[in-house]
Amino acid sequence: MTNAPAHARRRTSAFSGLAWRRARWGYLFIAPWIIGFLAFTLIPMVATLAFTLTNIDLAQEEPLQFVGLRNYETLLKDRQAWDALGVTLKYALLALPVAVILPFLVALLLHARHLRGSGAFRVLFFLPYVVPFVAGVLIWGGMLEQQSGWVNAFLRLIGIADPPAWLDDTTWIYPGLVIMGVWGIGAGMIVYLAGLKGIPTEYYDAARIDGAGAWGTLRHVTIPMISPVILYTLVLGIVEVLQYFLVPLVLKNGTGQPGGSTLFYNLYLYKQFFSFQDMSYGATLAWLLFAVTLAITAVLFWASRRWVYYAGEAR
Amino acid sequence: MQHMEARFDMARSTRRLAVLLAVAALVVAACGGTTTTPSASSGGGESAAPTTAATEAAAGVVEIRWFCCLGGGDAPEQVEVEQAVAEAFNAAHPNIHLTFEAVPYEGARDALATMIASGNGPDIVGPVGIGGAEAFHGQWLDLQPLIDSTGYDMSQFPESTVSLYSVGGQGQGGIPFAVYPSVLFYQKDLFEEAGLNEPPHDWGGKYTMPNGSEVDWDYDTVREIAKLLTVDRNGKDATQDGFDPDAIVQWGFEPQRDDLRQTGAYWKAGTLVADDGTAAQIPDAWVAAWKWFYDGMWTDHYSMTGPVFESPEANPSDYPFFTGNVAMSQNYLWSTYGVGDSGEDWDMAATPSYQGQTTAAFNADTFRIHKDTKHPTEAFEALTYLLGDGSADLLNTYGGMPARPTEQDAFFEAQAANFPQEIDWSVAREGVNYADVPNFESYMPAYNESLDLLITFGTKWQATAGLNLDTEIEDLRTQLQAIWDSQ
Repeated sequence: MTNAPAHARRRTSAFSGLAWRRARWGYLFIAPWIIGFLAFTLIPMVATLAFTLTNIDLAQEEPLQFVGLRNYETLLKDRQAWDALGVTLKYALLALPVAVILPFLVALLLHARHLRGSGAFRVLFFLPYVVPFVAGVLIWGGMLEQQSGWVNAFLRLIGIADPPAWLDDTTWIYPGLVIMGVWGIGAGMIVYLAGLKGIPTEYYDAARIDGAGAWGTLRHVTIPMISPVILYTLVLGIVEVLQYFLVPLVLKNGTGQPGGSTLFYNLYLYKQFFSFQDMSYGATLAWLLFAVTLAITAVLFWASRRWVYYAGEAR
Repeated sequence: MQHMEARFDMARSTRRLAVLLAVAALVVAACGGTTTTPSASSGGGESAAPTTAATEAAAGVVEIRWFCCLGGGDAPEQVEVEQAVAEAFNAAHPNIHLTFEAVPYEGARDALATMIASGNGPDIVGPVGIGGAEAFHGQWLDLQPLIDSTGYDMSQFPESTVSLYSVGGQGQGGIPFAVYPSVLFYQKDLFEEAGLNEPPHDWGGKYTMPNGSEVDWDYDTVREIAKLLTVDRNGKDATQDGFDPDAIVQWGFEPQRDDLRQTGAYWKAGTLVADDGTAAQIPDAWVAAWKWFYDGMWTDHYSMTGPVFESPEANPSDYPFFTGNVAMSQNYLWSTYGVGDSGEDWDMAATPSYQGQTTAAFNADTFRIHKDTKHPTEAFEALTYLLGDGSADLLNTYGGMPARPTEQDAFFEAQAANFPQEIDWSVAREGVNYADVPNFESYMPAYNESLDLLITFGTKWQATAGLNLDTEIEDLRTQLQAIWDSQ
């Protein structure tokens, strides 16, 4: 210890003094989150990882044993699991652009200088978000019903004699689900609005002086300045869409109908876990979902270096 | 300068790493959230104060946990009765504390699976039907040794109801408690309006057609009169030219459609498991029943199609018969809880026969003991209380017909007092004799996965017109076999 460099000793003594007293308050304040994270997320995650190497299955009477990578082998051969992942990705391709772009466009409209009563519009757009989700799904299920739904009644009124069976046709089910999703854009809209309001007006003034029009301002000022918010919305959107679950469960009772088009990966995982009570295989599926989500998110962050602008970061 | 850039890069990397970690935490938290299930407390259920139980446990009192509600019993007024029964038991048994835990039906299966998987299974589970118990096949204690050692009198129950609980090679998994025979509910006024005679109340009886001829009360007859009882918005019935199947306002017949096996069991008792215990089979009568059901929806139009059944306009509550717009409906006695909504013109008739044999699918509820209970003797004592001294209150709140024949008169008197009109309750009483044996909910390999497949096919048939049912049924059998082979 006596041979330790002087600056190391200084750092140690500084940390154990005033800095430590300040830091411990910080630790104290974040302790509830850390405890919650450990108890309800990290430890269960480690436990599920251990599950994947065992044979916990309530439907079988085998004793608990270590099975190595058997569950992962089963997963590789499980066509239904990959089909369910395919269903999820197919839906994501349609839903994600809408979930990211539409709230942005609405936020732009509500941010417009000349819009009167923007506060009221903000409330109106956000209001559906606070409706209990299951209630919203059931109401939309009724509205999109082929024979008696209001949506098709309107389409018939404007001359479409044979409107689609939104929720009972493999072609129309995804657009139907996306329409339902539009109901909940309020949260994204608020985040975008907050971002838009944070852009210094000087940038717009400068752009105007430089002769930029509306499109040029949007492209060269608004979008770059709001790009961290877009990244945030995109990351959350990806996580949400990969976990898409409640709507198909409520609407189709988890049957995957029509024709397996609503057997989303998370629903398949849930069924393995709880309906079929194959805890170990369910855990294996959960870990695949985690790995896919993490990989996509990591790629997104890597790619964000090229298109996300942080004002406080040196380039 | 180089040194500064390096520091700058390091700071940037550190910040990125922090952001990445934060996002990883976000993803982890989000993924972790997907497997959260309702617990006994979060599910809105009620349970006795753990502190009381802990105190009593410390004083040498054995705690027995009673888990509800895999098969009903979760309505607030039922929970109140169940709590009271548990308290009455505790008052009479100072050495045992019975703790009642109610989890709403929708989340009960997940909650129980989670409890068992985490080694925290309850001691007693119920009320639970045969199917609900089979969903946890292998998890129940064989009660036979306890029945033998305590001398519990099983002769008070009909042999047919006792044997319901001794299938699947698991011993005597339960003791009869509540039984629910099936009947054909019908609307008298709709028959009168159509100029039709009412269906027979005698099991195996004949039906008198409008022309006065007497015919067998079978599914061919039902098809014929169901079409006459199916009416569109313009007042045309399903046999008339110009009938509009897209504008039906009254349906002739509604099957109990919870489970394809049950649709088949109304025609003839059967099982999907061949005699060798490993091969999947579809009984011929079930094939006939499924085709009849399918044609009833898509060709003859006397039954609702799936989308109509799901629509809140046509079916605002659980069963379309409750709207008063369905002339005939097969269902269990427990459905009397909502039949009153259809008005005061309903009554009960015998279910139709198939090839000269009448069968009525059967439901039965009881309480079971989890095989991993640490206190089997005390759990059995509590169980026999629920089936004995506590049973009157419980049966009353569940609307269950007592399995003990000696208690059935009182049950039907109470039922009659609930409904102002004259209901022929003898139909239900007699219906027990036509129960499907083996019961349609009995054991099959990979029970939950197989049931899921059956529901998937059933939903598809209800939602899709123009299917070749022969191909569909063979596809179902093949997929069922594949599931069983993979076990």
